Amino acid sequence: MKEFKPLPALPAPNETVGPVVWIKANLFPNLINSIISIIMISLLASVLPGVFDWIFISADWSGESQADCSKEGACWVFVSIWMQQFIYGSYPDEQLWRINLALIVLVLVIAAPSFLNKDSRNKLGVPLFLLYPFVCAAFLDGRLFGLEYVRTDYWGGFSLNIFLAAASIIIAFPLSFLWALGRRSDMPFVRSVSLILIEFFRGVPVLALFFMGSVMLPLFFPEGTSIDKLLRVWIVLILFMSGYMAEVFRGGFQAIPQGQYEAADSLGLSYWQKTLLIILPQVIKVSMPNILATFVMLFKNTTFLLIIGIFEMLSTTQTALSNSNWLGGHAPEGYLFVAFVFWCCCFSMSMISNSIERKLDTGHKN
Amino acid sequence: MSSEQLRPEISSHKNVIEIQNLNKWYGNFHVLKDVNLTVKKGERIVICGPSGSGKSTMIRCINRLEEFQRGSLVVNGVEMIEDVKNIEAIRREVGMVFQHFNLFPHLSILENLTLGPIWVQKKPKEEAEAIAMKYLERVKIPDQALKFPGQLSGGQQQRVAIARSLCMSPQIMLFDEPTSALDPEMIKEVLDVMVELADEGMTMICVTHEMGFAKKVADRVIFMDAGEIVEENEPNEFFNNPQMDRTQLFLSQILEH
Repeated sequence: MKEFKPLPALPAPNETVGPVVWIKANLFPNLINSIISIIMISLLASVLPGVFDWIFISADWSGESQADCSKEGACWVFVSIWMQQFIYGSYPDEQLWRINLALIVLVLVIAAPSFLNKDSRNKLGVPLFLLYPFVCAAFLDGRLFGLEYVRTDYWGGFSLNIFLAAASIIIAFPLSFLWALGRRSDMPFVRSVSLILIEFFRGVPVLALFFMGSVMLPLFFPEGTSIDKLLRVWIVLILFMSGYMAEVFRGGFQAIPQGQYEAADSLGLSYWQKTLLIILPQVIKVSMPNILATFVMLFKNTTFLLIIGIFEMLSTTQTALSNSNWLGGHAPEGYLFVAFVFWCCCFSMSMISNSIERKLDTGHKN
Repeated sequence: MSSEQLRPEISSHKNVIEIQNLNKWYGNFHVLKDVNLTVKKGERIVICGPSGSGKSTMIRCINRLEEFQRGSLVVNGVEMIEDVKNIEAIRREVGMVFQHFNLFPHLSILENLTLGPIWVQKKPKEEAEAIAMKYLERVKIPDQALKFPGQLSGGQQQRVAIARSLCMSPQIMLFDEPTSALDPEMIKEVLDVMVELADEGMTMICVTHEMGFAKKVADRVIFMDAGEIVEENEPNEFFNNPQMDRTQLFLSQILEH
């Protein structure tokens, strides 16, 4: 019998690999694409160096006041001097540790599912998650913990954006799931109430909702009672978010095969066991990309709060811009910084969502 | 053990399912017409018939996956009425295996099996896992316990589904075309498990077109068409000497190949 000897593997011929081949195949495959490529490259070449120079090379990075910004480029001194305001608002200096601690705990609460096992995740992780907004609010307020009382007027900056978004999302999550369940309910009353709530909070612009929350809502309360403005905003954010999320969940519900309900029923699981143990985990899995998109939208929408006088990050930036010591037109630096910070956060949320998706993927398409 | 030997034994058993004048409509469409069926404990029944004949609908009425409008249904002495308590009591006694397995894709095989015992029967986790492993061994796939359903073949998934039902120690097992979604090679491994189960004396109602299985284990074969029970008989008579022309036509069509 003859022995089979595999031929040696040879390197690919030179004319099929390498950067030159790639450029030719992707940028200049034909006349029209070549023209487009040349136009785009020359556009970038004319804009990018200037932008790069403005941001990095001729920028002023250190100093104490506007006077230190002597160069042509960006004045990052503006950002560094106002940094504390941008992040913490007017929260008292000696109490900033409370915000830092709350942010660290938030990160831990979000990260917890990835290092807890399944049992402790459900028994410990979920209750901690749902408690976080309330404990965090009470902690920043301080009275309940015997700490110095900080009125919500002093809360602000980017930390407020984060807290508001996180606290709204966490509460909206179970609420919207209930609304979505209600919308599928067999009971006409439950179904119509859910439908009205969802359609109202989805159909009204979020700015209008903020105005209603801050201006109209107090009119309905009895004389003398006042509900904190931030609390009203929080409620509005929760309801707004729930309207959107309920529709996201509805899409998720429709992706679950009828057989899953039947299998759960035939095992004798009760309605809530079936819903929470079988349906919810699968709904979350299929809805994950849309849930994240809604999170990002809500997170960015917290900047709208500047309109009704909440000192979130965009609003502190504007305050800093109109400060009499800094009237040198630092808007580009300020807004670029705000954009950069939000982009970083939204991008990390994308990363987190991707990793959750991978984790949830058990490879079953049933 | 063959069915002939069992039959006298069964005849003295009590009825576990009593269906009387069962009628069901989907809107205006009359799917089940005056169905009467009594099943004794330990009896093995195979139901066949063309698609749309109402055979799946009928067995799905038994554990209330489908509602019915007229007639009565008693399972293990419990009457099927609107009351959630009765429905839950009946579902605890009745296991079901589906055409498309319907395993829970987000849970491991072991979790699929322990879910019912832990949440419905309130058994401690260790006990539930011991039971689960016992039944996984019986369906011959204990080594797959920590995998997810998506990683198993169709035949393995269906055996897991059978084990999942058995973990609830049901009195009655319903099979709704358990091999119809399987590749030919995998049908045998599922049927083997079902034959074993029959040999152990489980009360079984199987909707299936596996006539070999019917001949081997059934005490009674029922033929349904257009929402009615057309003919029922013990397998030998049913296959060799069908009484109704409709049954004859059906048998000639499915046995031709």
